[in-house]
Order: sequence, then structure tokens, then C-alpha cells
Amino acid sequence: MSATMTDAAPTNHSAARLASPRRDLSWTAAPLVGLLGLAAFWVFPEDLGLMTRIAAAALYVLSLDLVLGYCGIATLGQAAMFGTGAYAAGIAAVHLVNDPLILLVIGGVAGGAIALATGALILHARGLTLLMLTIAVTQIVQEVANKARDWTGGSDGLSGVDPAPVFGLFRFDMVGRTSYLFALAVLVVGMLVARRIVRSPFGLACRGVKEDPVRVAALGGSPRAYLVTMYAVAGMFAGVAGALTAVSSGIVGLDSVSFSWSAEALVMLVLGGTGRLYGAVIGTVAFMAAHHILAATDPFHWMAFIGLFLMGVVLFLPGGIAAGLERLRDRLTGTKSGSAPGGRA
Amino acid sequence: MTILLEVQGLSKNFGGLQVSSDITMSLKAGDRCALIGPNGAGKTTFVNLVTGALAPTAGVIRLDGRDVTRLSAADRVRRGLIRSFQVARLFASMTVREHMELAILQRDRRTFRLFASVGRTRGLAAEVAEGLSLMGLEAVAETTVGSLAYGQQRLLEIALALVMRPKVLILDEPAAGVPHSESQRILDAIDRLPKDLAVLMIEHDMDLVARFASTIVVLAQGKLLCSGTTREVLADPRVREVYLGSRAHAH
Repeated sequence: MSATMTDAAPTNHSAARLASPRRDLSWTAAPLVGLLGLAAFWVFPEDLGLMTRIAAAALYVLSLDLVLGYCGIATLGQAAMFGTGAYAAGIAAVHLVNDPLILLVIGGVAGGAIALATGALILHARGLTLLMLTIAVTQIVQEVANKARDWTGGSDGLSGVDPAPVFGLFRFDMVGRTSYLFALAVLVVGMLVARRIVRSPFGLACRGVKEDPVRVAALGGSPRAYLVTMYAVAGMFAGVAGALTAVSSGIVGLDSVSFSWSAEALVMLVLGGTGRLYGAVIGTVAFMAAHHILAATDPFHWMAFIGLFLMGVVLFLPGGIAAGLERLRDRLTGTKSGSAPGGRA
Repeated sequence: MTILLEVQGLSKNFGGLQVSSDITMSLKAGDRCALIGPNGAGKTTFVNLVTGALAPTAGVIRLDGRDVTRLSAADRVRRGLIRSFQVARLFASMTVREHMELAILQRDRRTFRLFASVGRTRGLAAEVAEGLSLMGLEAVAETTVGSLAYGQQRLLEIALALVMRPKVLILDEPAAGVPHSESQRILDAIDRLPKDLAVLMIEHDMDLVARFASTIVVLAQGKLLCSGTTREVLADPRVREVYLGSRAHAH
């Protein structure tokens, strides 16, 4: 297929064929996630806790896709935004308000603010240097959270987050039904908003920066302004995801701002496929479900199986699970199309 | 006529190596100027200095009367100094249409709209269609640039420069790699440009230069060798010696 793409252009005939736009089905992703999520609600009533964590994590991985998949920012620091949002919402819940939606807003603002502040400082760097700086930011945030015991509970974690009913109507029950449906709804809304952003003029400019920042400057744009803005926007998504975790689980721990949580986001995103938004959701579901099942069946060797699973995907499904699904669809429907990472989603 | 681009005493040293020395020239509104010179004469360096890709060691660059010597490349673009690249420099995974959309949105400073829809931006589709038809690129509008023929990439490169509404347009070998049949299309498009803008074209093809240019500037070894009307310059014996002579062997 890729051969067709590279050989296609020169003749008018093949150019005309390529010109017929592929049917854009990406709008179906968010509603589909909502429907499948609801189906899972009835099929797996025992696993609502896990599924709630998956929904919140998917929103977090989605935020990473905004910076990595659409801006090409290599980062191992997304947990700084997630954790800041989680702690901000958790602290606010303990001391100030307990309305879950307001807590999400607080988490989003906190995540966006830390992303804006650190992004403006570090985004002049590229590649490995930037990667190191994002790790350093996460370490600093984690250390601050660790030292500010009075506010965060330090290594004991922050507990006592007790959110009020959603819209004053739906109580957070013991079984976790409300938590799950709330998390699922926030994820679906997050996907819709993210899709809107990546298809906006701003999203188009960010894709330009990802490909060639110098060319964007030659069009009169400021590549760094786009990067910092998208980093802040993604920080808001990550902050909301952190707040969602705090609200639905009732606790915030230091692991929410850890290096490993940053790295796991990267693994989940690459697993699912970058630059598509829904790849983030697929990757999160695949990774966390595999994690759960393998850890339950073989508590001693599950890490090895996770590793094998990852190697299998990377070797046999370049571009992640989403790219594999797209190839499968193309084969079934007989259409030829280039998979476009960083595409319009 | 107003002077749109004015370059005074422009020099650039890389360490001890002087690649541009004391170049002075100007472009008036309506000028169609060709910049010629043998390989290694410093033409591309000169363009990089003028557009802001390189910082000069000495000299002043004025755009429409304002000193832009210290401004960034992007700031100069926003003030109407637009270039096309010698080697097509495009976004490989984006479609032809998306390139045009980005250039227009960027020109209109609409790129910080996070919740607007590109597809529903008023007037955008019509202007994209107009820009594409100018270069005969309508049929490949939805093709990703990475799978476009090189000649078509060059045409898109020109289309992008034109859609930016330049005051001063610098075309770095616009016809290089474009099939001969298509190079006329580029000249036609340049002919149709508003007469109040200035165009500077770097070009090797003397045939193209003669068809396009009303004035010529000749660089040799980083220095201004001579400048004047096309007829004067082409008749100048020094130009024949350093440039046309060596090119004649190459052809």
C-alpha cells in the first residue's frame, strides 16, 4: 500500500484517484467509545473500579497525544500535569468545595497553569534535551508534593476526597456505578473537545510545526507560541484526568506525578497509535486490560507477558493498534489510503 | 515609485570567510528583478540575509521604509517579505489543500482559533480553490504532499508564496525541477500579480530571466558585480566573462 502512495503522483490518472477523499469516519470515535463504555457497564459489573481507572487514564493518554501526536513534542513529563490536577482537585475537595464538576475545572486549570509555566521555560529545546527537561519538571513537582505533607499527605497520599453528588443528583455509590459513568462521560466529552481542537486552524498550525517549524516561521507563524499553547491545552486535559482520578477514587498518591506514570502514558499511546486521538483510548484499554488480566492469572510473571505483548505490537503493528485496524478496514473495504498519523483525526 | 526593499552595505562573514560583502541594492514597487551569478556567488546567502534566516555581520535592510535588520524571519514575513524555497520545503504528511489553508489562515492571523473549524472558515475554500487553479493543482488538492511529483511540489511552493499577499516576493529558482511546459505557468502567475509589488527571482535559466526580468543584479564571489536593465547587464562584458561564459559550457 505504501508503494502505491509513493508511486502514485506523477500521472494524472492516479492523482485523480487519490483526489477522491476517503470517507471520514473519525467523528464516530467518541460516540463509539460512549456506546462500548455503556455496554461494558452491563457486561462487566464487577470491574467498574478498573474501568473507571481506564476511562480517566484514557483522557490522560489523550492529552499526551495532543502534544506528541499533533505537535511532535517528545515528553516524559505528562504526569506532572496529571498529578498537579489531581492534587489541586484533591486539596480543593478537602478544604474548599466538593462539587465534582468544579473539582474537574480546578484540576484542569491547575494542569494548564503548570504546563503553561513550565512549557514556556523548556519548549525552546527539542529532542533529547527537551525529554530530559520534561523528566526534570516531573521530578520537581513530585518532590514538592512529597515535601508539602501538610497539604498533600506526602508519601501517605491525600485521602478524604468526598465529592458531592453529580449535578446534586447522582451520588458516588460504593459499587462505583456513578464514578464509572461520570468518568466515561468526561472521557467522551474530552474526545469531542480534543477532536474539535485538532481540526481547528490552531490544530492545523500545530501539525505544521510538528513537520517543519522553520517552514511555519516562513509562513509568518511563531512555532514556539503554538507549542506552548498546545502544551498548556494538553496540560488542562491531563489536569482534568488527574482530577477525575481524585474524584472517582477518593485518594491522590505520589505515584500520580511519577516518572513511571509518564512513561506508561507514552507506552499506552504508542501501543494504540499516535496522532489519531482514538488511538490513545484503544492503547489505554489494551494496556490496562492486559495488565489486569495478566496480573490476575500469573502474579509472578505478568510483567514479562506485558513486555512480550508490547514487543508483538511494535514489531507486527507499526503505527499501533489503531493503524492495524485501519489497514484491516482498508483491506476489507478495498479502499486504498495512506494512514496519516498526525492527521485530522 | 516607492522603494519597497532597500539593502545597504550588507555583509556576512563565517569566521574569516566573507560570503557576502558590501552588497547594496533596492527594489521599487513593480520591479521584476533577476538575481544571477555563477554557482557559489552567494545568491542563496544573500536571500537568507534578506529574509532573516541569517543575521548579517554588517549592513541595513529596509522593508517598505522600515528597518527590519533586527527582526526575525517570521516578523519580516508578517510585513510582506515572502520567499519560496529553492528546494520545495513542505509538510510531507499534509495535503495540498491543508498547505493552502494553513498559509491563508496564518496570513490572516486566524491560527489561534482553537474551537473554530477549518472546513467552515468563511471564504477559505473559495480562496484555496482560486490559489490552486492558478498553479493547476486542483486535481491534487487532497493528495498528501509526500506523494506529489516534485514539479507539483514546486508549483505548490509558488502558490503558497503568492497566497501570502507579498509586498516583496523572493523566488529562489522557482522553475528548477519544474517541467518546461509548467514553467510558463509560473511566469503567467507572476505576470498576473498586482503591479505594485516587487519580485526578485534567483534564476540560472537565462531564457527564463530574459522573459521575466526588467532589471538584473549580478553577484560574483559575494560581491555586487553590476546591476541595471536586462539589456544593459546582458551586454556587459564582465557579466559575459564571469557568468555567461561559464554557463555556456555547462549547457
